[in-house]
Amino acid sequence: MAEVARAAKGDVRAFEALYRAHLPRVHSLVRRMTAGRDADELTQDVFVRVWQKLGTFRGDSSFGTWLHRLAVNVVIERFRTDQARRARMHDGEEIFNTIAGPALTRDIRLDFEAALEKLPDGAREIFVLHDVEGYKHHEIATLLEISPGTSKAQLHRARMMLRKHLK
Amino acid sequence: MTDTWNDRLSEYLDDELTPGERAALEAHLATCRDCTETLEELRAVVARAGALPARGPDADLWPGVAERIENAPAVIPFLTRSRRRFSFTLPQLVAAGLALMVVSGGGVWVLNHGGDATSGPPVAAQAVAGQGGAAAPETNIVPASFVDPRYDEAIADLQQTLQDGRAQLDPQTVRILEANLDAIDKAIDQSREALAKDPANLYLHNHLADARQRKLALLRRAVEMVNKG
Repeated sequence: MAEVARAAKGDVRAFEALYRAHLPRVHSLVRRMTAGRDADELTQDVFVRVWQKLGTFRGDSSFGTWLHRLAVNVVIERFRTDQARRARMHDGEEIFNTIAGPALTRDIRLDFEAALEKLPDGAREIFVLHDVEGYKHHEIATLLEISPGTSKAQLHRARMMLRKHLK
Repeated sequence: MTDTWNDRLSEYLDDELTPGERAALEAHLATCRDCTETLEELRAVVARAGALPARGPDADLWPGVAERIENAPAVIPFLTRSRRRFSFTLPQLVAAGLALMVVSGGGVWVLNHGGDATSGPPVAAQAVAGQGGAAAPETNIVPASFVDPRYDEAIADLQQTLQDGRAQLDPQTVRILEANLDAIDKAIDQSREALAKDPANLYLHNHLADARQRKLALLRRAVEMVNKG
């Protein structure tokens, strides 16, 4: 917390320490949510936003939780500007076949990440938020401006696609 | 496989079924090998997702972040600052008042003249629109958007910051500042109303954009002065 306070006062070195401590988790979130598209640029956007917003961090939650929520918001803002993505929210059934096979390499974690990237956008975003990041359906519904029922349906869809990969 | 139950397996895993639904599904699972296998596979997916390790980027992104934050001042919490009071200087107040007169005068002129795009604005308003003495060509005028989340967010942040730190300003300064902001808000509202009647009027778009920019600049200046306190 000392680094957070120092960074909030404009200490760039303290902010860099925060950046390095939280970078892997933030980049993983962004990369998984976006299937790797513009992940580096978006991650930078997240940390610039964090720098700008540090003064509003009240300590009601942990800094990591606050930062992570902010990161999710930055990614979703980008989604909202991507009209083409919206059209893909309910598409992608054909992807079933492309990720249906079992893992072929020894590094199952990387295979799973690769399979995740191939999911349709809507199913992937909800799967990452729910199963990887621990968000509830009502929170996801609010964030993505969808109904909780749609969130549940897309999550099940994503899991059903991914289970074939783990066979 | 029973599709009806298969579609509910994730809800079962996440404990989101009613007690009755849960009991019915468990009864079905006792007799359906396919659904039982699918349930175990889904359970494995959830476990794998929860165990995914965090991994950073291949390249170091810090140089790009550092470069960008140099131009993006942090919002510094007021509780950590001294409580010194701050007053605007007389020249600053005069400048703010003049700018306000120009903005408001342009707005009044627009309303009185029905927002006619073919006739020119008064001299004072031309000075605002031109920003350098000469009016910009119409082809360079970008219509202002009524919906701009980044602008609204920046204004909200600055207003909150100013609100939090207003105790550090001289009361008379606060009154003048609020009067100026109120007048700019009225100019913005008047421009929006006029634009609703005449959406294609480029002068009105320019006038609205200018008023919004002046509000942002005035708030930034005020917050900057509070921060220096």
